Amino acid sequence: MATAPSDYALQEDFVASEQYEVGESVSLWQDTWRRMRRNRLALIATAFVLFVLLVAIVSQFWTPYPIWKQGVGPTYQTPTLKHPLGLDQSGRDILSRLMGGAAISMEVGIGTALLSSVIGIVLGLLAGFYRGWIDSIISLVINVWYGIPDLLVVIMIVVITGRRELLFIIIAISITAWVNMARLVRGQTLSLREREFVEAARSIGTRDFSILFRHIFPNALGPIIVQATYLVPSAIIFEAFLSYLGLGVPPPNPSWGAMTAEGYRSLQYAPHITLIPALALGLTLVALNAFGDGLRDALDPRMRR
Amino acid sequence: MTRGTFAYVGQRFVLIALTALVVSSIVFIGVHQLPGNAFLSERQSSPQREAELLHHYGLDKPLPQQYLAWVGGVLHGDLGESLVNRGVRITPLLLRELRVSATLGLFALLFTVVLGMGLGILAATKQNTWIDYAASFGGTVGYSMPNFVTATLLILLTVTGFYAWSGGAFYEDIGWGKPEQVIVPAIALGLYPMAIISRLTRASMLEVIRQDYVRTAWAKGLRPRLVVIRHSLRNALIPVVTILGPITTSVITGSVVIEYIFGIPGLGKEFVNSIFNRDYNIVIGVFTFYAILVGLANLAVDLVYPLLDPRIRY
Repeated sequence: MATAPSDYALQEDFVASEQYEVGESVSLWQDTWRRMRRNRLALIATAFVLFVLLVAIVSQFWTPYPIWKQGVGPTYQTPTLKHPLGLDQSGRDILSRLMGGAAISMEVGIGTALLSSVIGIVLGLLAGFYRGWIDSIISLVINVWYGIPDLLVVIMIVVITGRRELLFIIIAISITAWVNMARLVRGQTLSLREREFVEAARSIGTRDFSILFRHIFPNALGPIIVQATYLVPSAIIFEAFLSYLGLGVPPPNPSWGAMTAEGYRSLQYAPHITLIPALALGLTLVALNAFGDGLRDALDPRMRR
Repeated sequence: MTRGTFAYVGQRFVLIALTALVVSSIVFIGVHQLPGNAFLSERQSSPQREAELLHHYGLDKPLPQQYLAWVGGVLHGDLGESLVNRGVRITPLLLRELRVSATLGLFALLFTVVLGMGLGILAATKQNTWIDYAASFGGTVGYSMPNFVTATLLILLTVTGFYAWSGGAFYEDIGWGKPEQVIVPAIALGLYPMAIISRLTRASMLEVIRQDYVRTAWAKGLRPRLVVIRHSLRNALIPVVTILGPITTSVITGSVVIEYIFGIPGLGKEFVNSIFNRDYNIVIGVFTFYAILVGLANLAVDLVYPLLDPRIRY
């Protein structure tokens, strides 16, 4: 049988639909992955994010030159074979520092996404499920928090406490970043708690705790994961911004934001010192957001915008 | 304007006041937990002078009393006196800087709304062509780039590029006053919100142009421009307006770093400088000011909303 590409695609679709009919279970994740595979931009973005993650992990064990070592070559040197991305104002190897910066960005991004998601999910579930005064208090906190420019809050926290280690910066960003997650989860919970399966669970005497985490939470998982994915790039921006102002992880840690700021003074004669970390930051953020978009479209095609 | 509207506006003002109170008291308490004070140099030369200064600023009183005095001052429109540049009243200083920041912010908003909506409409009317894909990808890029990266690239492109091209005449031109000193920072500031608006406009246009009344407009032979602008855009605008509140927040937040990079003497630069100088009276003032501004912007959006969509009432 001749299988022109279009025929093949048709056939595959047909087989897929037949599977649905016999009721063979296709898990949410298989289904998502099937749709995501068709989205070329999302695939490229996923590959790039995985690459940055890999670089971040590798940098913990090996970099071409020590990250902190100054004077491994002439200062301000443009890219050469020995130093593929050139050297900075202190004669440090930019490639090595870039790799170290990937680790810092990823730690902040993923750490913040996890921590603020936990805060947001718990508060959102409580507010949406119990309603009443609990909801009033949590919603008031959300509304007040929502009206404050969050980046400035993070700056204030860092300045007032004067602490700049990585874990503390993750906590400081999470203090503001949970708000959107809490809003989302609260809304989902408000509608899910009225559904029949929750009613059924309650009628057989299931405890609130397991209704919340075994019945409501899994059903809101799709949007929660998408929201958590978007939290990663926004946390990376916050950290880069803090470091750019000199308020992030203290030097000589290789944060991309700090590297961008350090090269700023020599922008005219050695633009590569600024450009390389700036582009690395930009590309990573574009990839993370494109990955989030792809995941959103794949998880729920109705949400496609 | 019905009674419901007034009640709603009243409620919102209470929320804004509450936000301002929470923000200022948190910052107030936080700042006063810091070891030492702004007069460390005086302490070394003469402890008596330090005591005088502490008394002058009311810093020798208990904290609640200080805070009440501060709130009383704010109610009279007085944010107190700068700790570093002694004798400088903060309110007139901030109002002067607000004019600069507002100019920059309005230019950025103009750029954002005009270009963002234009791109969104273009992408929606040419859906699934390369124009649409390019606009969508450009949107993702604009949405993802932190504004200090955009600003650095723009400086490299314009200021430094012109520097080489003009033989060095362009270099010291970071500051305020000339047209290009407004336009370049406004672009850097507006790129992120522009991306948001263009995405939203596209999505909302796509939904509207599939409606029956738009098909009717086409069917009766209306000119394309009228169909797009009068029939589609007007309704597609409604969701776009809601985002203007958050966008104002992002322009305010963004202006902090943009003004710092471009050396623009506005509120944002004052905020950063005051943090570095530990001039906490100004920091508290700017922060409270921002909280109120964001609240008012959100309120304004909510009040415009029912004008566009008569189905919505408060």
